[in-house]
Parts: sequence; C-alpha cells; structure tokens
Amino acid sequence: MAGIDVGGGHGKKNVNHEIPLIPFIDFLLCLVMFLLVTAVWSTMARINADARVPGPPSSEPPENQPKEKQLHVEMRGERKFQLIWKEGNTVVNTIDVERKPVMSGNDVRYPDLAKKITEEWKANGSHRAASDKKLDQAVLHTDNSTQFADVIAVIDAIYTPQREYTAGGSVALIPAFNVTFSVN
Amino acid sequence: MSASGKALSRFHQPISVPGRRLLHQIPLKFVQKKVAGGGGRALNTEIPLIPFIDFLLCIVLFLLMSFSASGELSIDKNVKLPNAENVLDLVEAPLIAITGSQILVDGVAAGSTRAIEEANRLQRIDELGALLKNKRELWKQLHPSTPFPGVAILAVDQKVPALVVKSVFQTAAFAGYPNISFMVGRTGGGGGE
Repeated sequence: MAGIDVGGGHGKKNVNHEIPLIPFIDFLLCLVMFLLVTAVWSTMARINADARVPGPPSSEPPENQPKEKQLHVEMRGERKFQLIWKEGNTVVNTIDVERKPVMSGNDVRYPDLAKKITEEWKANGSHRAASDKKLDQAVLHTDNSTQFADVIAVIDAIYTPQREYTAGGSVALIPAFNVTFSVN
Repeated sequence: MSASGKALSRFHQPISVPGRRLLHQIPLKFVQKKVAGGGGRALNTEIPLIPFIDFLLCIVLFLLMSFSASGELSIDKNVKLPNAENVLDLVEAPLIAITGSQILVDGVAAGSTRAIEEANRLQRIDELGALLKNKRELWKQLHPSTPFPGVAILAVDQKVPALVVKSVFQTAAFAGYPNISFMVGRTGGGGGE
C-alpha cells in the first residue's frame, strides 16, 4: 500500500507512515454517491423564434433589397392551417392543410402539417444549396386565444424539414426554415 | 546371476532428489503443497488501488463540475413546459418565466399578466421592459467590445394564451432582445444549428 518514506528511522519513533487509503476510498465513494443522487440531468431545450421590430429611425432611404419568398403559416382557423408563399406583399401561392392534431402523450403534434411544409420547402424553398448559409424564412401567425402548446407544436412542425450545410469541410444538418413569430 | 544381482543391489540404492523437508508432516495435501512452497502462482493478489483512486477522483471532479446546488433553473414547478422534437441546446441568456399571472426575469418579479388578460389586447409590460433594458446595459458595460446578442429565453406554461406570449415577446423585442427562444422539453431526435 501507499506509504510515505521520509528517510531516517534511527530515532525512537518510526517516521514512516502509511496513507490510510481505505477510509479515503470510502470517502470518495460516498462523495460519488451523493453527487450522483443529487445530479440534475437536463432535458430542457429551446426552440428558436425571432421577432421583427422596427429599428431606430434613420434619415437614409432603405436599400432596395431583392424580395425573397417567405412562407406564412396561418393557424387562425379552427379546421385548417394555411400555408401562404409571399414575395413581399404579393401572394404567390396558398395551400390549405387540414388541422389534424395527433396526441403524443400530453403533447400535440401536427404530422400532416410537418409533411406538407417539408414538401413545400423542397418545391419552393430559395435556400436549398448545401453551401448556402441563409435559411428560408417562415412567419407564424396565431390568434390571441391559441394555447402556447399549440404554438410550439406548429413551430416544431415548421422546423421539421432539415438540410445539409457545408462549412469548412464539415457537413451539418440544419433546419430549413428560420421562424419568426408574428406579434400582430 | 546372483553375483551380478548382489552387485546390482549394491548400486541400486535409492537416490532421492534433495528438497525441502520442513512442513511435510501436514496431512492435508493442498495445505502442505502451499506451505512447503510448491504449487503455481500465489493466490493473493494486490488490488490496484492507485488507478482505482484516480478513476474515482475523475468521477468526483466531473460530478462536481456539473453539480448544481440550487436546482437547475428558476422556474416554478407548476409550470408545465410543452415538448418538442426539433430543438436546440440551451444557451446562457436572461430567462423570462411566466408563472401563473406573474412574470419573472431570472427569478426576479417583473410585472403581471393580469392587465393584458383583462384588457384582452396586446400590451407592453413596462416593468419587464425596464428590467430587460437594465440587463442589456449591464451586459454592454461588462462586454464593451462584443456586439450584444439580444437573446432571451421564454419559459411559458403550455396553457398560457398566445396573447400573453405575444405581449411578453413584443416587450422583450423592444427592450433589445429580438432573438427569443422558447424553452421546451426535449422529446427525442433533435435538429440543431
């Protein structure tokens, strides 16, 4: 076992000592048990949503930026969702999706909506190339009485389509859309 | 034959190999074999304590680093967060929690949702806005050379109406936090940026 040899040993008392390893191991084991029992294993995560707010007033005229297609997801209707592709204020296409909630435990899911959004992105998405850093934009519109769980279920459905993104030789899977939560 | 036999017997004396003589009287064969020094490998082995202690120390250090004495987050246990699949990992940011009718920012009271529910229309929450602006200014003072990320995390009960969420969302955005993340439970899979 481990010991401490300090040399000498010619005197009356022996100066070599054994380190008491067994109580030390016992103590460590107790510490491990305590920390394991009190450990908090996180299951929390986040789902992203941007806000569009007016910026500070500026005297310079706004730059003429090309208007990109955006997917507006309307969840105001009780029976259906509406997927509206818009370029600026111009409506390009409107698709109705039946509102079929599926309960997964206590959570609401909209698999049909997720499937349709994936199909729509594959057909009309502007940023599908693996080297494209930008994401397509989705804007979510809700009415004021919608429960937060429903809002999250729809945002989750919008984040379902994913694409590859190549940067610096490494490939990562990223969501196809960036979601903006419309406050209006 | 006899002569040769005699001669043979004279030479035929038993020659025994010299060996250990002590402890040969023990009647049990296996004990005798052990104590007399015969047999194969010794059965006693030392437990390798040093690597064992090193391993334990590594576990202790890891657990101490991930230990949180005050619980994970300052959210009321009555708040039931919704779950989602396509989620990102949490980041360090101000946590705005809506618990019942109270709004908390990092555990500090920052207004109430009653006024919004009673008015039934979108409203800015002044107390929350002021608190978030203070936090933003403090962050800018502490990190003068870094652009402000404007990220806040919103922890909301799954039954809260969207009107309240929108009001808090708008207030946070006007206070300089346009990048809001909703805190959710992780149900599996998971995308990520």
